[in-house]
Amino acid sequence: MTIASYPDWCELLRVPIDANAAADYVRAGQDGAIVTFDGFVRNESHGRPTLYLEYEAYESMALVKMREICAQIHERYAIHCVAMLHRLGHLEIGETSVFIAVSAPHRAAAFDACRFAIDTLKRTAPIWKKEFFEDGAVWADGELPPAPPPAKPAS
Amino acid sequence: MPHVLPNLRVKVLFFGRIRELTGITEEWLEMPEGTTLSELFEHYAKRFPALAGFRPSLVASRNQEFAAWDTPLSSGDDIAFLPPVSGG
Repeated sequence: MTIASYPDWCELLRVPIDANAAADYVRAGQDGAIVTFDGFVRNESHGRPTLYLEYEAYESMALVKMREICAQIHERYAIHCVAMLHRLGHLEIGETSVFIAVSAPHRAAAFDACRFAIDTLKRTAPIWKKEFFEDGAVWADGELPPAPPPAKPAS
Repeated sequence: MPHVLPNLRVKVLFFGRIRELTGITEEWLEMPEGTTLSELFEHYAKRFPALAGFRPSLVASRNQEFAAWDTPLSSGDDIAFLPPVSGG
């Protein structure tokens, strides 16, 4: 099934994310559903109160990965358009760090695609989060993206 | 006279905890032709011994794509060593 789509919107921002703008961007007359994911800064980490977070990214590669995710969900699900925005720099408690909006003619595809998009972004986009506490700061435990197998067989 | 291989020049980027450890955000480096990602990492592990222990928890990238450690470098490549990612 092919659905006409206009360009997806992938961006890394150092200003607050405008969630309404992202949802409006993906909305069109042919759609019947938009599913959004709003990831925001929690006030604690493993029981320790968090003061704030800092995000950094390998920006050019993160954008490549985000565009790949968009291409993948267009291939897998009958969706129309995607907005995928990630914030970098200093974020206060409660501020949105990542926002994804997916539009589709029908809700099931939009739910599935949005879930796939955030799960894959967290596993593969080269973005890092540092958590600041009263008594210090740590890089958040992350996931190691899968590396390609060696080109030459091990001898 | 020994045969000297020409050098290649790559841009190397560090992020997160290993950026802090090395104090390097990015730099250009010359290495002999034929150098692999793994050998490039070894170069840095010699310069920064504390880096060696991070090797099992890093993936390498070449020109914005994840790459196997035995990948040979080409001149002009963007190389990065990436700690476990924690975006979202």
